[in-house]
Amino acid sequence: MVRKKFSKAQIIISIFCTIILTFFLIFYIWHQAKSIRLGYETRKLEEEILSLKKEIEKLEVKKSSLLSLERVEKIAREELKLKSPEKEQIIRDDFDQ
Amino acid sequence: MKNLYQKKIKKRTIILTFFLALWLCVLISRLIQLQVINYPRFRKEVIEQNQNKKIINPKRGTIYDRSGTILAQSLPVQSVFCSPLDDEPMDIQLEKINKLRQILHLSNKHAQTIKKRIEKNDHFIWIKRKIDLATAEKAKNLHLNGVQFIEENKRFYPQQKLAAHIIGRVNIDDEGQSGIEYKYNSTLQGKKGQGIVLRDAKRRGYMFQTLKEPQPGIDLVLTIDETIQYIAEEELQKAIHRTKASWGTVVISQPFSGEILAMANYPTFSHDSPRLDRNGAIHHTYAPGSTFKIITASAAIESGRVNFKDQYDCSMGFISIAGQKIRDHKKYGTLSFPEVIIHSSNVGTIQVGQQVGEENLYKTITGFGFGQKTEIDLPAEEKGIFRSIKDWTKISAASLSIGYEISVTAIQMLQAVNVIANKGVITRPKIVKKILDPSIGAKKIPLQFKRVISEETATRLTSIFREVTKTGTGKEAQVKGYDVAGKTGTAQKLDPSTGHYSSRAHTASFAGFVPADKPVISMIIVIDEPQGQYYGGQVAAPVFREIAVQVLRYLHIPPQKILSEHIITAKYWRQDKK
Repeated sequence: MVRKKFSKAQIIISIFCTIILTFFLIFYIWHQAKSIRLGYETRKLEEEILSLKKEIEKLEVKKSSLLSLERVEKIAREELKLKSPEKEQIIRDDFDQ
Repeated sequence: MKNLYQKKIKKRTIILTFFLALWLCVLISRLIQLQVINYPRFRKEVIEQNQNKKIINPKRGTIYDRSGTILAQSLPVQSVFCSPLDDEPMDIQLEKINKLRQILHLSNKHAQTIKKRIEKNDHFIWIKRKIDLATAEKAKNLHLNGVQFIEENKRFYPQQKLAAHIIGRVNIDDEGQSGIEYKYNSTLQGKKGQGIVLRDAKRRGYMFQTLKEPQPGIDLVLTIDETIQYIAEEELQKAIHRTKASWGTVVISQPFSGEILAMANYPTFSHDSPRLDRNGAIHHTYAPGSTFKIITASAAIESGRVNFKDQYDCSMGFISIAGQKIRDHKKYGTLSFPEVIIHSSNVGTIQVGQQVGEENLYKTITGFGFGQKTEIDLPAEEKGIFRSIKDWTKISAASLSIGYEISVTAIQMLQAVNVIANKGVITRPKIVKKILDPSIGAKKIPLQFKRVISEETATRLTSIFREVTKTGTGKEAQVKGYDVAGKTGTAQKLDPSTGHYSSRAHTASFAGFVPADKPVISMIIVIDEPQGQYYGGQVAAPVFREIAVQVLRYLHIPPQKILSEHIITAKYWRQDKK
């Protein structure tokens, strides 16, 4: 039995094709891995956005609560010792007559 | 020899093949039994064992005041539940509850209820709902098998008790129970989603999957103004304490649009109190007394039967109708029609009523909306009591002329005052300004108008009611720099034990608007059973003044008249600014 001899060109083409195939295969795997990783990151960021939105809502309620007129008046009167202005202390800037 | 050996092999192969085929048949039969015959039963059992469907409540819509201040908002919190494991001994399961009890501050009664449910082998037991995130974190750190956490929404009211009667309350499942929360429950609530808890063979929950995303509720913008509401609540509270009254309400509106700017009740309650369900301004009915003379005067002018120059003899200080004496609090002598209203003479008003006639009086009272709900967008509104004309007695017209034999709500009376302020047009009071539906954009609630009396009648009435606060019974309602139009009312309350009007229990009220010629706000104040002074002009009118001064300043409504004293004008500064 005589083994078939490959020409040099055939060997080069085969090696080249193998390299190209391997390259595409590696690229494909890398691309898939990257996509999955990006997917995880996107999901993580989405969760972060959701969590930040919730945090904003919470802070808005807190802000609203801190600015409630009852609280502001209590602090003004009790802590800052302020009192309502007397009538003669009021200056109007919207008096057009 | 070879043939014998081959035969033996062949025989063995046949036997082996036969047994293999038999084994395969048994396997196939068993598979058919499991996958086809018993499939529905096993499927049901598996689902029961490893899945638990759960309703996901959507985030409830936010409620804002007219300037965008948050009045009610839902925020995510954690709820704890347990799914006991089948093979876990009872004492270990109960031990878990004891551990959680300290962190979650469970009461003895609550802990016992949970334990009883564990003993009954319940597969889903709430341990505590809507706890704060820090507490939930502490409980999570215990790493207890079968104890799970789920996110829910909890209603927060950052303004605390402010406008509590209007906003109302929700129950633990975020369903509205009173106020706007109840009336607009379907709008605020959104659509429920569905989730599933997946369990392993030991029935431990290992995953929560959302099957159907919940649709969040729609936000609402109320007509209420946080600052005006605060002013109304503060002043009402002061008035109730000052007069030692049992109850009171203040309602402030924009006459043109019917938008309610403030609706205060005192005593008020926190958002978790069931007593919040009764909003006195729309629920509590009372005899309006002299404020109802607004309607008698309207009927008088509109019917054309009464002239401004008509004179009424009030010199006796009383009038007898069907054998009953109705009195004035003093003898007035002879009064003209406007003077009868300005001084709130019962004797004079009854004579005016007689001149108007029963038919006209009935028509006007009905036209102003009494005996019917105002259709304000709040639940549990009362329509009051107003009898049909065919049920009237001989004294009914006289009693109605001065605000008896009828019971009204504060909101009905304010609606009537708004007719005068609006030059004869009635507007439906409303409390929701906008529905912020993201699918159709902000939906405004349309205004509804209907003419009740002519513009001329309303203008003439305004001139009379302006005089009430200048020289009549409502002097205490005067606001410096502004013309106020209004009417006082003092009504004796019906004593249920005797069936007669009490001489000790009264309802004092004042209803009016300011500025009289171009009304920006209209207001009604009702003070129930004040002690000591009890006249509307003494008890309710000053509350009108105190609130109006602050609200007009807040709304930047400049005084109509130059005030030489006390107020320094700074027009030059404004010009510089321009």
